[in-house]
Amino acid sequence: MSPRLFALIPAAVAINLVIGRIVNELSLPVYLDTLGTMLVAVLAGLPGGLLVGTISQLLSGMLSGYQWLAFTPLQWLVALLAVAAARSGGFRGSWRTACWGIGAGLVCGAVSSVISYLLFRGVTAGGVTAVSTLLRSLGAPLSVAVTAASLATDVLDKTAAFLVVGALLRALPRRILGRFPLGAKAVGR
Amino acid sequence: MSGGLAARAHPFTAGSVALAMVLLAVMVPAPNGPPLLYAAVCVLAIVTGVGRAVRQAMLLAAPLWLLLFLMHGVLGEGPRIAAPWGGTLSASGMAWAIEQGSRLAAIVTASLGFAAAFDPHRFLQAAIARRWPFAAAFLVVATLDAMRRFGEQATRLREAQRTRGLKVRGSLATRARAIPALVFPLLLASLTEADERALALETRGLTAPGRRTALDPPADGALDQLVRWSVLAAVVLTLWWRVAR
Repeated sequence: MSPRLFALIPAAVAINLVIGRIVNELSLPVYLDTLGTMLVAVLAGLPGGLLVGTISQLLSGMLSGYQWLAFTPLQWLVALLAVAAARSGGFRGSWRTACWGIGAGLVCGAVSSVISYLLFRGVTAGGVTAVSTLLRSLGAPLSVAVTAASLATDVLDKTAAFLVVGALLRALPRRILGRFPLGAKAVGR
Repeated sequence: MSGGLAARAHPFTAGSVALAMVLLAVMVPAPNGPPLLYAAVCVLAIVTGVGRAVRQAMLLAAPLWLLLFLMHGVLGEGPRIAAPWGGTLSASGMAWAIEQGSRLAAIVTASLGFAAAFDPHRFLQAAIARRWPFAAAFLVVATLDAMRRFGEQATRLREAQRTRGLKVRGSLATRARAIPALVFPLLLASLTEADERALALETRGLTAPGRRTALDPPADGALDQLVRWSVLAAVVLTLWWRVAR
């Protein structure tokens, strides 16, 4: 592992956890706890992104309970989708980035709803479970409520995350972006 | 970090006990297993000097308990039982809510107890002494350090932006507009810092091959080893019992 990746991984994990906390304090219906994972995946490639996602979940578990380790595959999925987006120049403009974000949200929401339903019967983090409970109270079956709530929150979350990472990549000085060929390709430079 | 038995133990012992509690919380059978295990984890946390983890875990688990009660107790399906305050509750839903609520609370308490006893310096020394891959141990410690620094930076940034008129309360749109002002400076600062840090790590030979020497390895006494073997035996026996039943 290169010294650059050694320096980047702790910063990216801290970004995931600290920005996740900031957004939680703003009481918004998104998490933004995969920004670091996406950033490293786009800049340094898939292995870096997978490592950041795994360490983030391990440390997040230490602070809020290891039951959320069950959602680690979602971090891996986000890293994979961010790399795919970067390879096809998916961060070149806002609209293109938003489309990738919506697609990633649908995929992650689908996987998240399966984990949430099978392991937790729909009761996980506050925001998404509040939406599920609302849908249940309106008469929706549990499986439908969990799926709809996961898809809605994940589409919103991943679209916002892709837009933030895209804007950041486009704003990065050439001096820094020049050291990461995949990152440069992602924004078409 | 606390100064009790959990903090004085070898770092791998605290980690093994926490991991065993998490695995047992998943494996113990309902209806009595999860609540009994949760009680045992609370007692263990208090006895080993990380009692504040019990209170913190209750605060973290409280919203989950409430949502479990609403989603499965109140809105659950199947035969209904009378609620003490009038109305009815789902019998199977309430049973699941208590079972899952106890499992989650036991896991959260064990996790926070481990976090309260965790000392990054002792962990790094123990990992070096055991010839663990230095890269893995370094990443854990460097990440914890980065989290502390970025957390402080985020607090300072938030206060600075508020004095410039940034609104972090109000409607959903107002709060959403606060995200770029809080997130972008932090992201840019972290990337610039990582760039500078990479050079510092390279000049200090972080990736250089060879064995490292632990300067102050924590003692790994007979009691530590006994505890680690005991929790391993408890997990294996419980797994065997669940599979054989």
